Amino acid sequence: MNCERIQECFIDYQSGTLPTADAAQIRNHLKSCLTCQREWSGLQETLLKLDRLPTPVPSGRMAAQFYAWLEEEQRTADAPNPFAIARSRLDALIASWLPARPLFQAAAGLALLLGGIWAGSHLLNEQPSPQPTPSAAEARLLAEVSDLRNRVDSMGQFVAYSLQQQQSGNRRLQGVLTTLDRSETNDRVLAELLNTLAFDPSTNVRLCALEALYPHVGRDEVRAGVLAALPREASPLVQVAMIDFVAAARDHAAAPALEELTRSLSIDKAVRDAARRALVQL
Amino acid sequence: MLAVRAGDLARLGDLFERHQQPLYGFFVRITGQRTASEDLVQLVFYRILKYRHTYRDEGKFSAWIYHLARKVAADHFRKHTSKAARDVEPEVVEALPDHSPKPDEKAARNDDLALMQSALSQLPDEQREVLVLHRFQNLRHDEIARLLDCSVGAVKVRAHRALATLRDVYFRLRRERLA
Ligand SMILES: [Zn+2]
Repeated sequence: MNCERIQECFIDYQSGTLPTADAAQIRNHLKSCLTCQREWSGLQETLLKLDRLPTPVPSGRMAAQFYAWLEEEQRTADAPNPFAIARSRLDALIASWLPARPLFQAAAGLALLLGGIWAGSHLLNEQPSPQPTPSAAEARLLAEVSDLRNRVDSMGQFVAYSLQQQQSGNRRLQGVLTTLDRSETNDRVLAELLNTLAFDPSTNVRLCALEALYPHVGRDEVRAGVLAALPREASPLVQVAMIDFVAAARDHAAAPALEELTRSLSIDKAVRDAARRALVQL
Repeated sequence: MLAVRAGDLARLGDLFERHQQPLYGFFVRITGQRTASEDLVQLVFYRILKYRHTYRDEGKFSAWIYHLARKVAADHFRKHTSKAARDVEPEVVEALPDHSPKPDEKAARNDDLALMQSALSQLPDEQREVLVLHRFQNLRHDEIARLLDCSVGAVKVRAHRALATLRDVYFRLRRERLA
């Protein structure tokens, strides 16, 4: 080994992690090489001083804050989460849609993912910050929001919208989900849901609106509303869901619209297939 | 950690007890800021909980915790890029435990350690990090290599350079003080 190689091994030599043969080589070299001797002693002194630096000890404030935060987290985790109820419904619904619908599995995954993110941001907003200074709490929240944005961005292949839209989308989603838990739904709510289904820019919100309409699939005006929104719908995910919706109701009025879809070459093949299957069902 | 991942939040307290001090030491040495470091430790545990589902039971938990800690530190630096915010707080050195009987000795020793502290803070970030991880956090070179996503050889070279730089800066500071 030359001097340079010898000196590169000094750290390992000092900490005793060098193989015995290498260590012996270094020991021998040090006996005869003045340059390396100087390097070695300078390095040893540096390491000695470095290791003598005191270990920083945190104040009691840190532990107190941590345990206050942990307690709060546990309380939140133990409390029944209203969103979990809605999500389990969504789960059940999607499961009922599932037979031979790979596209829908993707939709289900997306819906749950968005749901999870929504729940996360929701809980985050509600959770009291363990920080005593509002500015630190704010910075933390900002950090988490930007984190959230990154996660949304990473799903860009599915749904691309900005954080701003995402937030307002969350609010809209929340609105739709609350209707899921209502026992009776009046006409005004149904009209709002149909409006959401037709015009909301978020695929996820439209899917949820459609789910909320499912209990009312027997009503003519609901099926008519869904059928009216179908030609305007751009997302294959929602298109397939709408087709399943009218097929589930065995609504013969849907046949012309479905036939139209099977003939259209500009739409997704999965949608055309779904329309064809639905026609058989009718 | 596996218990925490499975939803047993109370066990996060065990993790905190085991890792709070080393983590705090890591942040103080990387940032030179005591108060901010307490918040950064808190942030690490916040993220442990948040990302607990991504924890894989491969390798040591300490590797994962430093993975999170490095990201937290990087975020911190991104937010506080001004030089002033990164200067070492004087109390980092002043708060030394004192076992020396004579005031002179104590002053000299504290002076010396202050020089070393200052030299450490003058290292380039990536050199200081390797040194801190190895000497203070007691991570092996191969563990650091996995953490930094580079080869063991690269870590050794970086550690060697860091030590050489530290030595040069330290001796320069000492010469300046004597002059
Ligand atoms: Zn030599």
